[in-house]
Amino acid sequence: MKNRSIVVAESFFLSLCLALCLAPAQAAPATARGTPQNPWKIGMSQCNLGEPWRVQMNKDVKDAAAQHPELDVIFIDAQNDSRRQQTDVETLLARGIDLLIISPKEAAPLTAPVAAAYKKGIPVIVLDRKVLGEEYTCFIGADNIKIGRAAGDWIVKATGGKCTIVELKGLMTSTPGQERHKGFMEAIQGHPDVKVVFDADCKWLEPEARKEMESALSRFPAIDVVYAHNDPAAHGAYLAAKAEGKGREKVIKFVGIDALPHEGVAYVKDGVMNATFQYPTGGAEAIDMALKILKGQKVPKNVTLGTRYFDDANIQSGGQAIE
Amino acid sequence: MTLKIRQILGASRPLLILAAVFVLCAALSPTDGQGANTFLTWGSQTNMLRFMSEYGILAAGMTLVILSGGIDLSVGSILGFTAVLFSWMTIWKDVPAVLAVPACLAAGAALGGVNGFLVARFRIQPFVVTLAMMVVARGLAKLVSGGQKVSTAFEQNGDFVTKPIPPFFDFLNDRIGGTFPVVGVVFLAAILLLWGAARYTLFGRHLYAIGGNEEAARLSGVRVGWAKAGAYAVSGLMAALAGLCDAAQQQQGDPEAGATYELDAIAAVVIGGTALTGGRGSMSLTLVGVLVIGYIDQILSLKGFDQSQRLIAKGLIILGAVLLQKRERV
Repeated sequence: MKNRSIVVAESFFLSLCLALCLAPAQAAPATARGTPQNPWKIGMSQCNLGEPWRVQMNKDVKDAAAQHPELDVIFIDAQNDSRRQQTDVETLLARGIDLLIISPKEAAPLTAPVAAAYKKGIPVIVLDRKVLGEEYTCFIGADNIKIGRAAGDWIVKATGGKCTIVELKGLMTSTPGQERHKGFMEAIQGHPDVKVVFDADCKWLEPEARKEMESALSRFPAIDVVYAHNDPAAHGAYLAAKAEGKGREKVIKFVGIDALPHEGVAYVKDGVMNATFQYPTGGAEAIDMALKILKGQKVPKNVTLGTRYFDDANIQSGGQAIE
Repeated sequence: MTLKIRQILGASRPLLILAAVFVLCAALSPTDGQGANTFLTWGSQTNMLRFMSEYGILAAGMTLVILSGGIDLSVGSILGFTAVLFSWMTIWKDVPAVLAVPACLAAGAALGGVNGFLVARFRIQPFVVTLAMMVVARGLAKLVSGGQKVSTAFEQNGDFVTKPIPPFFDFLNDRIGGTFPVVGVVFLAAILLLWGAARYTLFGRHLYAIGGNEEAARLSGVRVGWAKAGAYAVSGLMAALAGLCDAAQQQQGDPEAGATYELDAIAAVVIGGTALTGGRGSMSLTLVGVLVIGYIDQILSLKGFDQSQRLIAKGLIILGAVLLQKRERV
């Protein structure tokens, strides 16, 4: 009786493995590519689809590519693991891609696989985070220092240069966290009445931000602004202020970064947040560049993306670009 | 006589530790603008309870599993899955909470039940079974949500629409009388309920017996398989309950919610003094464990400590608590 159920379980498991092995078999034609019948194959190696911002990046790539029937994009997710992403690049090359788009988890471990692809003659577009050296075709990214500075400038302007701030940081061992802090500090430096009274590393997580904001609220009777390194943290801080029951969520200005359409932008629209600064994914731009490269046109080595901000004043008109 | 004093001290040692931690936190606490101790305010205490409630609910279910000599690594992922499932049902699909709440609790209990079935029927090590479930349930969370957070703002026909927050979210996220968090009540109720189950029901006593000596329990007529499966099912149910609390507090279903929470739940059980080998411990100890972690976390947050210092402190406290209990037994 017992043996039989184990045999059933075993045979189920084995047939599952067999089915998985047989499933993705497909043949590739060997004629010239770049037509709707035989599209160019682009490999998109994403480092972590656990982050909504990166899900948005893939979506931007997918939507942009959908406009071009001569392109076919293969997506692969490294699940926040550099070593997995090394294998992902090799897998994509083995599947015969014509161009590689990669948003690397970290520079050092992914420099070699990217360089190997580049040397084989496969053009490589590096998105958001850089790799070391020069062995790639094009880097597309935004400037976190500039965005942090823009947020600081907005806060100084909105408060007349006099306010107390709670800074809810992103993971401070990550470059975006460090740069969003650095740019912000540069912006408020010349304003002695703009003071950061409390700061905490919230690791990009909303529950952490809510807890830290509760601590800040219980320590400081006067808080004018919350500067959060990402929008979920600003949202968590708003919920903390609202739950406190003193109506402080209406007085404090909540400022965040990323401006995803369903997060930051929606929060500003709902009056939860006062301003959010877009950190563009570059997904659409990557497809533009990919087409140029595949058609043999020249592209710049470095592309810095522009950014927009959304606040109470401009949210209805779709935000405003930052120079 | 000396034995008696030692017994009393031994029994209340976790309480002594809790009291010591409380006094230490109060002494170290910074003051607010008006010179009042920020740790010793009702607000600080209820904030701590709110933040710890999810870990606490998980730890309550985990205690039953650990008493039976097992472990459940899947609770964090089941939390994430049910948070997403609940948000998906109530926000996106307009299912009323009356139906969605039991459905999500049942889903959690069912996943826990699968753990229990595999552990009891095939005698696979609980570590392995629940590790597999941890991965599968996280996958389910991402499947339901499509990798995005399930929030009130979402894309419909290429445009972003915003829906109102379902009333049940506000209910769970509310504070009774403006002060006491509802999720804290849920947590304390879960502890109380499972405390009764572990102490006064046949099911609870069987878990102690199995954790103490499985073979002996079997020989004395305990239906070991059923009791074990029950423990995992309850643990899954608790994870689902914590999932509802998570969705309510974030006002959205985050497919990454609850990641690594299983470790905090296990830490709370261990700090309380329940033995990982099974058979010895109790729900009240787990409550103490949760509060100790909560207080330490709270004071480090109030004082604005670095992440690095917090992690080191937490690790040392786990070790310290276990060492203290070791001394107690020798």
